[in-house]
Amino acid sequence: MPRPPRAGRPTFGQTLSAALAETQLRLINITRYPGQMIMEVVIPIVFAAMPMFLGRAAGGDQAAVNFEANTGTANYVAYMLIGSSVFTIVSGAFWHVAYWIRFEQETGTLEAVYLSPTSTFTLASGVALYSVIRGLVTALIAYGLGCLIFQVNPLTGDLWLALLFILSGLVPLYGMALIFGAVVLRVKESSAIVNLMQWVVSFLMGMYFPVATLPPFLRAIAFLFPPTWMTNGVRSALLGVGYFFDAWYLDLSVLWVFMLFAPLFGFWVFNRVERSVQRNEGIGQF
Amino acid sequence: MQSRLTGPAAFFSTLAAMTGKELTIMLRYPVEFAASFGQVFLIVASVTLAGLMFTPRSGEQDSSATTGVVVYGFIIFMFLSDTLWTIGYNVRRDQKQGTLEQLYLSPASKFANLLSRITVSLVWTGLLCVTSAALMSALIGKLPVYNLPLGLLVLILTLSGTFGFGFAFAALTLRIKESAQTLINVIQFTFMVVSAPFFPFSVLPDWVIAITRFIPLSHGVDAFRSLMMGLPPGYPELAPIEIEIAVIAVFGLVMPLVGYGLYRHEEDVARRAGTLSEY
Repeated sequence: MPRPPRAGRPTFGQTLSAALAETQLRLINITRYPGQMIMEVVIPIVFAAMPMFLGRAAGGDQAAVNFEANTGTANYVAYMLIGSSVFTIVSGAFWHVAYWIRFEQETGTLEAVYLSPTSTFTLASGVALYSVIRGLVTALIAYGLGCLIFQVNPLTGDLWLALLFILSGLVPLYGMALIFGAVVLRVKESSAIVNLMQWVVSFLMGMYFPVATLPPFLRAIAFLFPPTWMTNGVRSALLGVGYFFDAWYLDLSVLWVFMLFAPLFGFWVFNRVERSVQRNEGIGQF
Repeated sequence: MQSRLTGPAAFFSTLAAMTGKELTIMLRYPVEFAASFGQVFLIVASVTLAGLMFTPRSGEQDSSATTGVVVYGFIIFMFLSDTLWTIGYNVRRDQKQGTLEQLYLSPASKFANLLSRITVSLVWTGLLCVTSAALMSALIGKLPVYNLPLGLLVLILTLSGTFGFGFAFAALTLRIKESAQTLINVIQFTFMVVSAPFFPFSVLPDWVIAITRFIPLSHGVDAFRSLMMGLPPGYPELAPIEIEIAVIAVFGLVMPLVGYGLYRHEEDVARRAGTLSEY
């Protein structure tokens, strides 16, 4: 006979239900802002269009040829759109996790959340699932629509492998996002820092250019970011720009190593900050 | 006898006090300033590096033209963006803090309130622009600097028009409240494409250029960067420089009056309807 759960400790079913409820809550909330959802699709296309237009002007007739010599593909439209779409997923992860905490702080529910038997891990998982759904849908629509607008075929290369790179990169990405959650928990009004960090990551992950063009010191830091491997993996799978280790499975295995360590490190940081804030009467304050 | 609460002396005293308040708030958030500087630098560096991916590998092509197009366009983009947030959207901050209603109960000049925000925008964004331009110039390629006095005059007129646009947006914010945030994003991204701050107009489709010619800010971007880059062949792209300067002069002189007129009208409507403190 299965042992009944200890009093006050939720069962797995209850935990799952709580996480899914958090996901559903966030999804319902965002559907109430259709204007914001449309803008989220438009933004990556505009972000990709800017360097494309600048490049066309700078390179003239030789733009595609020069681009191929510098990056490994002449399909600069797809190259830029992949960069900006992956950036949407990455920046979404930071903002959604960081602002989940801030939203609860501002609406005065964070203290109540910490008094409930549902763990932060459960709620964070629910928020992460919501963020993944929102980010993936937005990125896929933006990429497809962008390809349609700029008249390139979005279905080139190995689509399944590209998807595998994205899915493998999501776990370490949300591990990193938890660190941003910890920053919000600690410093409260931290939109400027999160805003800056999303651009740091976009720069280091090579949203518009290969990280090989960065100076050695910055390149070394870039390789420590899972989004760098995600972006290059997707570009290599779809456009054949070349894997960092020359083979897809080697690059993917690096992401799997991140998959093991990044979430653990993220939770360790988050838990430490959480405990420290709880001890210093900081949960309900904003 | 003139009251101490009205007249030019009172106006300037209010303006100084409100500007001081805005600058004090700005200085209390050094992390925010450092972060916005870093953000500006990273955006310009990313776009410029991306542009360089389209040029020959050997580096035989002069990158200063690319840097010029991006940096000068970016300066106007920064001011537009900052104007929309600090002048237009900050009315919401006063509403949320509950101080807007109080301000309207005091004899302080409401125009001084709007002007004080311009000062902050000029100091903050101006500093950001100068520093990031210098840094970009050092890192990516020498920034072309020609026709500085005329270029600055065009910039001042463009900014004057932009501030007028900010007043008009503040009026709209009083009416549409929180939706203004989404609208700012729409305006910013439309500007990024239609007014070509990061690339030459020549790459836009003809039908977009036809629309662009009716937007004074586009002429501001075109004239400013063309002058600063020494009017290279093909620049300005939208119209001869004399016509562009005339368009910008009208924009810079008329738009602040129109914008302020709209703001006064909307604040009047809000006062009558008792919605100043509603958000």
